[in-house]
Amino acid sequence: MTELSVPARRRGGLKRIFERFPFLPALIILLVLFALNGIYQPRSVGFVGITGLAKTYLALMLLAVAQTYVVYAGDIDLSAGAIVSLVNVVIVVLMGQWGGDALPVLGAILAGLAVGLACGVLNGIVVAALRLQAIVATFATSIFFTGLALYVLPVAGAPAPALFWRTYGGRLLEIPFVFYVVAVLAVILYLLARTRLATQLLAVGDDAQAAYQSGLPVTAIRIKGYAMCGLFAALAAFCITGDTASGDPLVGGEMTLLSVAAVVLGGSALSGGFGTVVGSVFGALIIGLINSLVYFVGTPSEWQNLVQGLAILVALMAGIMVGRRARR
Amino acid sequence: MPRLKLSGVTKAYGATLALRRGDLAVEAGEVHVLIGSNGSGKSTLCKIAAGSVKPDSGEVLVDGKPVVVSGPRGARAAGIGIFYQELSLAARRSVAENICLSDLPLKGGAFVDRDALEDRAARYIGLFSEVSGADFEADAPVDTLRADQRQLVEIMKTLGSEAPILIFDEPTSALDRAQVERFFEILRDLKAEGRAMVFISHRMDEIFAIGDRVTVMRDGETVGTRNISDTSPDEIVGMMVGARETLAAPTTTQPLQAASGDVALSVRGLTGPGFTNIGFDVAAGEIVGFGGLHGQGQSSVLRAIFGAAPRTEGTVSLKGTAVTAATPREAIRRGFAYVSGDRGRDGVISGRPIFENVMPIHYLRDRLIFARPSALRGKAEKALQALHTRFAGLSHSLNSLSGGNQQKVVIARWLIDRPEVLLLDDPTKGIDLSAKADLFALIRTLAEEGMGIVLYSSEDAELLANADRILVFNGGRVTRELKGEERTRFNLYHAAYEAAE
Repeated sequence: MTELSVPARRRGGLKRIFERFPFLPALIILLVLFALNGIYQPRSVGFVGITGLAKTYLALMLLAVAQTYVVYAGDIDLSAGAIVSLVNVVIVVLMGQWGGDALPVLGAILAGLAVGLACGVLNGIVVAALRLQAIVATFATSIFFTGLALYVLPVAGAPAPALFWRTYGGRLLEIPFVFYVVAVLAVILYLLARTRLATQLLAVGDDAQAAYQSGLPVTAIRIKGYAMCGLFAALAAFCITGDTASGDPLVGGEMTLLSVAAVVLGGSALSGGFGTVVGSVFGALIIGLINSLVYFVGTPSEWQNLVQGLAILVALMAGIMVGRRARR
Repeated sequence: MPRLKLSGVTKAYGATLALRRGDLAVEAGEVHVLIGSNGSGKSTLCKIAAGSVKPDSGEVLVDGKPVVVSGPRGARAAGIGIFYQELSLAARRSVAENICLSDLPLKGGAFVDRDALEDRAARYIGLFSEVSGADFEADAPVDTLRADQRQLVEIMKTLGSEAPILIFDEPTSALDRAQVERFFEILRDLKAEGRAMVFISHRMDEIFAIGDRVTVMRDGETVGTRNISDTSPDEIVGMMVGARETLAAPTTTQPLQAASGDVALSVRGLTGPGFTNIGFDVAAGEIVGFGGLHGQGQSSVLRAIFGAAPRTEGTVSLKGTAVTAATPREAIRRGFAYVSGDRGRDGVISGRPIFENVMPIHYLRDRLIFARPSALRGKAEKALQALHTRFAGLSHSLNSLSGGNQQKVVIARWLIDRPEVLLLDDPTKGIDLSAKADLFALIRTLAEEGMGIVLYSSEDAELLANADRILVFNGGRVTRELKGEERTRFNLYHAAYEAAE
């Protein structure tokens, strides 16, 4: 027998493109902001300007990526910024004690990754295994991690060894080091998007009960999501250490909610089950470009926060409207 | 030795005893039908076998050996795959990913093997390629699919487990005839392979078409098992209802009610996504049926009248006054009521008390600002009792009720303030026979009291037994109107299948 149902509603080309690349609205906004930056400050879109942008906002990009993996599963991590702070002070103190040569720096980096991973796993256990509300539980652990950071380094200002920040801010074969980081990051994100874990996280965020009934180890998957978040938060901490060249127990605090905003700007659903890490990277860059644009157009300093906030709101609305129009 | 055996299984949810004593034995190479009214414990029994519900006591035996099914993963390891009535799909993932979700093929230890995944999915998609619809594609996100297509994905996912024991908990409720027939062909092939299968359905014709044996459940207990060849629909219904009075088989056609002549609802030239130029009148006291195959625009029309779906053209008038309800809120205030068969999406407020689930329409119609629970309690109870709803207390969570009783709660909310027009969108989906009888008796009473009623049902027998007139939908248009003596199964099928000829 032939098919009798209603004529199929064809999924249009544009709609299909947006389904496949949900970060497109973010990319469009990003390009518009880039053009505006270029109009108000032509030098900002030159080689030096872009290098500076990457140097300053690489940390936020990485933290947005970190946040994305938990948001995939419908969770949230309000301690991401605190993990950045903790890793930042831990590696600065360790490098201070072990000396600033290549080997100790490498050791400190490994220790930093371990700290980030441990924080992430702790969050995962508290949220997924003990079943506390993610938003409250990670807020609590954020206070705990900040407390640890203050214990490790009570006062901001301990310097990072020259080798560390010179490498981060320097060049390798005439190409700025941060561009290598961006390239490696792109490859890692490309690979991670193809892992089983990414699909499983999205399935859990889509409908945790359905995922459980499908035989997925939901608790373990959520813990792994938080572990990924901790690891990427540690990477963000390395970038911020390279950028500021010092330890500060409160450096990551305000980055937490910026990372959440970046995830949403990038087109991911906070309720979970849908999104891309690339979108989150674009979201972080949008926030960066808004900040610099506000500066370039000469906003008086007392108005800068207000204008930044408004601009982020407008970007959020534009992203949602473009996405909605396209999916119709 | 039975392939799968459940013996003396019990389960209580708080105060509600969902399963008093469940027994079931399924042999290899048979389709074992499980039947019983809603709330009789069928789904609970199946979920226990599938590991997603932990039994309080009793044994699960696979090949005679007792197994502890620790969660859905454990069940899969024991060789049990299940089709969930409420589906277990990730809405934003693609069809192919959903089919393979339980066991994603890997390469390099951590990466999803896309080629293997697509190959595996294509195998199961291919099984239904004739009946799944032109827009059914492996890479389409599940939430862009129609209800019947989503149900097919869940079937494919269950088949994809390749488990020797397969449980299907109402797999055909949203499928059209061609899809059901294809599904049955596949079941027969699996039977020949020696798989043991459990099949739950409320449709008697399906049970006799595919079943080898039938086990009947009533009030959380297994009543008995029969060979299909030795039993009759009457005997099965008798076992289901037990000592309660036998239900009138819904096959007799009632005489056309003397409608009062006042037009309650008048629709002209209604056009929108999925339907074109729909026009009909409903007299006060009349039940107008919408028939035809699944997804021919019946639901969309009802939702458009209720302001819950878009419409581009046309007028709707209520008792002679033009009403253009843009939102359900406005439609409710005007006197429309709408009951959907998809209660999970459109009906219940999940996780909240029964009381809160009965009251929202009353709050809206009465424009209450402060609610006095003590005064409202009586109204809620009266409405629930009119439908013979079984519940332990108004403050219990809605989720403690069976599907059929949940639907009764949803219908009860419209009974406190009487609407002018009642729109029923396949209201009996997944409801047992006795609840159906309660429901249709009530609908007839409401019509006799002067309400205009539109009934869309995917079960032809329901339409023939209850509608005074039947509008047959085909491809988004009304292609035939059946009145009086014309209301026969033959005419209904003929009009519904016309496009296929």
